Amino acid sequence: MLQTTSKPSMNEPHDQDPFNNSSYGTLVDAPYKLVSLPVLDVLDFNERIIRGYEDGSAEKGLPADLSLARSLVPAGTATLRDFSNIAPEIPLYIPENCTGCMDCVTQCPDTAILGKVLSETELEERLATITEPADREMFRTQWSRTKKYFDAPQKKGLPGGMFNIIIDPSKCKGCAECVTICDDNALKMADKTDEVMTTARKSHRYFKNFGPSNQQYVSDNLLIDMMLKEQTHLYTGGAGSCAGCGEGTALRMMCAATGSKYGDQWGIVAATGCNTVYTSTYPYNPYLVPWTNSLFENAPAYAIGVRMRWDQMGWQDRPLWCLGGDGAMFDIGFQALSRLLASGMNIKVFVLDTQVYSNTGGQASTSSFTGQNTKMSVHGKVLGGKQERRKEIAQIAMMHPRTYVAQTTCAHTNHFYRSVLGALEFDGPAIVVCYTTCQPEHGVGDNMAAEQARLAVDSRAFPLLVYDPRKGNTIKERLSLQGNPSAKDDWYVNPKTKEPVTFIDFARSEGRFSKHFDRDGNPSETLLRAKEDRLENWHLLQELAGLR
Amino acid sequence: MKAGTGTILATHVHEPGGLSQTLEFLKRTRSELRQLRRAYVWKDRLHVCDVNRDVFEIVGLGYADPDIIPVFTDINAAYDPRTIHLPIEAEYKEFNLGRRHPWAEDRVM
Repeated sequence: MLQTTSKPSMNEPHDQDPFNNSSYGTLVDAPYKLVSLPVLDVLDFNERIIRGYEDGSAEKGLPADLSLARSLVPAGTATLRDFSNIAPEIPLYIPENCTGCMDCVTQCPDTAILGKVLSETELEERLATITEPADREMFRTQWSRTKKYFDAPQKKGLPGGMFNIIIDPSKCKGCAECVTICDDNALKMADKTDEVMTTARKSHRYFKNFGPSNQQYVSDNLLIDMMLKEQTHLYTGGAGSCAGCGEGTALRMMCAATGSKYGDQWGIVAATGCNTVYTSTYPYNPYLVPWTNSLFENAPAYAIGVRMRWDQMGWQDRPLWCLGGDGAMFDIGFQALSRLLASGMNIKVFVLDTQVYSNTGGQASTSSFTGQNTKMSVHGKVLGGKQERRKEIAQIAMMHPRTYVAQTTCAHTNHFYRSVLGALEFDGPAIVVCYTTCQPEHGVGDNMAAEQARLAVDSRAFPLLVYDPRKGNTIKERLSLQGNPSAKDDWYVNPKTKEPVTFIDFARSEGRFSKHFDRDGNPSETLLRAKEDRLENWHLLQELAGLR
Repeated sequence: MKAGTGTILATHVHEPGGLSQTLEFLKRTRSELRQLRRAYVWKDRLHVCDVNRDVFEIVGLGYADPDIIPVFTDINAAYDPRTIHLPIEAEYKEFNLGRRHPWAEDRVM
């Protein structure tokens, strides 16, 4: 057995992590999240097992004891994982260009870019605690005066707020999503030199030392600002997802919205898929809420059981999310999902719709688009990718009795948050279907999650919708297509080019459809069918929403 | 991301018949630019931008020029060869450069 008694805690500075960047807590330091269970000793797990994995001794020194055999993992252990060396680049913050929009913080899949607001007085007080003058000045220059947090409060007679963005170098995977999403040139990618990394590590440490944001600068009405609160960071960095994973962002935002209303008093039942692999690769768990996984096909049935037990225990007020990918919800667990939605039970379903079985190598699901090149529908001489049409789980869900339904993307931040909060407020079953990129299977760059999600909506490949049974007695009253560009028209017309944005344009931008274009750029017959399919689906939604 | 707002790191003047020199110049984007993000093409010049908005500029190569097609193919732009040469009201055309090969796309199960 490994000896750990003489070593500092994994939650304190140590040789491998001298600035304690991998400490618990996202915006401020926090202790381990302890539980009172006879089968799980959190301190032993984090200090012995996590340490073994982090220093590379686990495979040689950890005995196959009961703790390992049970495969129970404490909350938030992914926090202790160090990703400093997996990417050659890291974002740098350019404070003078920042507007405090919080897009970068919101869209990061890895909780690796964080924001904070303090009054000028508070900032000066905290800067004074930095004993090294050079460090103090280095960190001082990273705080900005934005219109949003400085000028606007001053106009209301309040002291201006100083705003800071920080990159956690132990969690950033270098995808560049934050740089891509930033419209203000306030972030840029840089090589990870020793100097850059030391500055990043120190800055992140000071950031956490400086305490929480001053809440007078955080508006509850501004949903994009919710990640300025510690209670929304219930999905820590350190998950094993690919760089730029669209699912990671979706899970973070779902956790943030739920956490903003319910703290950590809620839980997750997850269907097997990519999401369960990268959030439970032993011994790393990014969730700070209870989470469980059984099989690919039974998550909704499992969730029904958990809901019943929670209700027996008097926990009716605790939300329960059932999440899975399109393979789990459109295909293999479809009957269980339908059963859940028909049950009337207060369970919320979140679908990570990548339109492909991402985890098992990219097989077609019923969510895949017509023409998509996947394993099992490989583009060849006879067949051009998937020949069937995409199943629309949102429309199917709408036909279940009194079910709240939303279809959204992380790139449409307000729509996303309102969809999730709407699902939580609804007293009954709800399903939120979220478009998520799978970079390796879609054939797009690591930094492209939000851009491709926007294009999916603009091109009618994946329309936004909210179907709320509380809004009226007719489908027209209940269904809203708000958020889709030019919702009354067939296609959205790009104001720059004056050309319609169709499914062909979306397909042209992704590697999964690249074989459908000949040398002259002509799309295949299959792809033209896919375009018609998307338009037909859009027409149906317009008709249901009373726009046609 | 707006056209013309990035820092121009290198400029090449495209001459008629000078396609191979232009393609040779673009090879430098692999090492001197980061992830390529977008291409902007005017009537008379092309900007290849990376994620940091740093730019390689090619003067003398516009969207009406037939040489734009092999150049766009080289940088993997998501463009339509049938409309690329057509004039438009807008000042420039823009194209995404984020397309990749999907993982194991030719693997048959």
